[in-house]
Amino acid sequence: MHQNRVLSFLYGAQSGHIPFCPLKWMAQNHHYGIIMIAVKNLVFDYPGIRALDNVSFTISAGSITALVGPNGAGKTTLIRCMAALERPVSGSIEIAGIDVAEHPRACHRILGYLSDFFGLYQRLTVRQCLHFVARAQGIPEMDCETAISTVSQYLNIVDRLDQRPGELSRGLRQRVAIAQAIIHKPRLILLDEPASGLDPEARHELAELFLDLQRQGMTLLVSSHILAELEAYCSDMLILRQGQVVEQVTITNADARQTLKLSLTHPLERLGTLLRQIEEIKLVKIEHNQTAWLEVSNNPEQQHRLLKTLLEQGLPVCEFAPASHTLQDAYLQTIRQSR
Amino acid sequence: MNLNPEFQRQLYLECSKARLIGVPLVLGIIFALTYFIDEHRLGSFTAKAALSLFMFITLLWGARQSVDSVMEEYREQTWDIQRLSSLGPWEMTWGKLLGSTIMVWYAGIICLLAYSLASDHIASLPVLFFYCTCTALCVQSASLLFGLLAAQRGQTKSGPVLLLAVVGFMLVAPWLTHLSEVSYYMRPSATVNWNGILIDADQFHRISLLFALFWCNVGNYRLMAQELGIRTYPWVWFGFMLFLMIYLGGLIPESSYSFSLAAFGVCSTLTYIGILVERNDAMRAKRLLAYFSERNWPSFSAELPVWWLSFILTLPFALWLSLSEHPMRQVGMTFHFYPLAIVLILLRDCAIYLYFIYGKNPQRAFNLTLLTGVMLYGILPGLFNLIGQQSLAALFFPLWANSAGGALLSATLQAGIMFNLLYQRWKLNI
Repeated sequence: MHQNRVLSFLYGAQSGHIPFCPLKWMAQNHHYGIIMIAVKNLVFDYPGIRALDNVSFTISAGSITALVGPNGAGKTTLIRCMAALERPVSGSIEIAGIDVAEHPRACHRILGYLSDFFGLYQRLTVRQCLHFVARAQGIPEMDCETAISTVSQYLNIVDRLDQRPGELSRGLRQRVAIAQAIIHKPRLILLDEPASGLDPEARHELAELFLDLQRQGMTLLVSSHILAELEAYCSDMLILRQGQVVEQVTITNADARQTLKLSLTHPLERLGTLLRQIEEIKLVKIEHNQTAWLEVSNNPEQQHRLLKTLLEQGLPVCEFAPASHTLQDAYLQTIRQSR
Repeated sequence: MNLNPEFQRQLYLECSKARLIGVPLVLGIIFALTYFIDEHRLGSFTAKAALSLFMFITLLWGARQSVDSVMEEYREQTWDIQRLSSLGPWEMTWGKLLGSTIMVWYAGIICLLAYSLASDHIASLPVLFFYCTCTALCVQSASLLFGLLAAQRGQTKSGPVLLLAVVGFMLVAPWLTHLSEVSYYMRPSATVNWNGILIDADQFHRISLLFALFWCNVGNYRLMAQELGIRTYPWVWFGFMLFLMIYLGGLIPESSYSFSLAAFGVCSTLTYIGILVERNDAMRAKRLLAYFSERNWPSFSAELPVWWLSFILTLPFALWLSLSEHPMRQVGMTFHFYPLAIVLILLRDCAIYLYFIYGKNPQRAFNLTLLTGVMLYGILPGLFNLIGQQSLAALFFPLWANSAGGALLSATLQAGIMFNLLYQRWKLNI
């Protein structure tokens, strides 16, 4: 069912006038590796405050990047600069190789933007809102109905098309806003605090939706305060603090290694020495010679062999499981280190 | 049919069934009433009512609709959606202008239809309709322009902008009423001497009206382009200045100084207008300096405030006028025309305005500048004049000085002090 929804959205893209096909594009670009966003030495000032201070980073195509940071860190300003809605003092932003400052309109064609206040026309029905955005994004009149039908099915808002946004719940309004942002099938979606004010169920659905969009080859940059929610779908994290990029980390990657937690029944002095001798292991941390965090291959077969080796070495293993290293842990650790 | 999406959106908003039926119904009832007042015929009362209604509807309601087509986007926080669309500035401009006023024109056309049925001077109808349509379009375009300017400055209330529309209505309404009178068409034809060419006055007014409409829409296009993030250079402002210099210069009796005088007046006035209409926050000056230091000339030219351009162009004309003989060198016994001193006073006034803009309450900058202007131009020099201290009065209002050198010195001093204060405040802001 879910797969069908994704496929129908994709077929919609292929039948539409937009030359961009996410699947083809994904295949060509192999998801990771190709740079979707390249920000270099970006400086943005508000009176008396430097909102973005020499910010530089790159974001791979096909990733979901969490843009996190405390209040006033410059998240919204950064997103608005990327969408060419604000003009920085200096620095450059390239989206899919297009200079945002030089060709803002070309960038607008390949990006979708969801602001924290949704930006819905209260006096229009949902169908009229979507029709306007579809037409304004260059979809010909004859293809609009298909685009509206596809995106509304995809976001489960078919039965709400004749209602006005003001009559909908916050979660549904947000779905309509997302529908507006993706109706033209952009390559990059910028989302500013998309989950604020949503209940847990709506947040879960949102996470599923973002993963769906990623599977279609879209790149997502999501700014949020709710780290637990970001963890469900983000592949990368960009931490901003006082207008500076504190760190950019990869949270998950299909081909990457995994962190496992190894616990023993009692402390063992030679634990560190022993673990360092095993080639497949990268030791991350040891606590009290009893608990260790290991970076190992994602492959279950290899993990099985590794556990066998550890037991053969006589280690009294009582736990060998994926570490519950949360995004919040990573964020707090980075923030603490940056102080 | 691929209709302009913004125009279509406005149609969704404006053309409800209730309105489409209600507007002709209400107008029909009004004209039925005037029909009875005119003793069971469509007579002069109906014609007057139709023309007055047309003016009220197209000038006042039309102006409000045009302003709200932009301001409402800001209020409902949907403007970013429009800015991120792939619509071009011209599509956006005409979509908003004609779309938001579609019901206005629907009602306006009914009024003109009633007027043409009631008018007893059929021959005047084409000319009157031309003026009515062009004037209404001009006021609506100007309202959209003011709406865009107000929105750029973060103003979300349309009240102050609509006040300007009311002023426009009060200026235009008597003129249009006069045009509808038979006596207007019976008068002897007048001519206008423009650059030595004698042009029929009516023809000249019609061309001028079309030019006003043209420049309003060029302004709308440019502001819309800026809003959409398209880099714009100040060529259009330069073109507008040149147009006004030639247009107004042609109306001054022909001589060697007429163009310079018109150019000086146009550049000075547009310096004031330019500084008032544009965003002049402290960060803009900082960005400009950053672009200059990076030698990023495209960004520098795009960020260049238009009032700088007007001010810079004032200088050569001021110099030319200072060196040439012209009848405005001495106006009365006490008032002198010192172009270079005027230029410096202009600079001082701009510095005063920016000083308040960089303050804690930039929304009040215009009012505070006006207040300071009243003090500097009126109260202080008047006070010193009354107590017989003309030299002190000239210090505040250099055009009262007896020598050009004295006026220049006083103006330089004031501009210098103001710029020093401005620089200090700017440093605090960035």
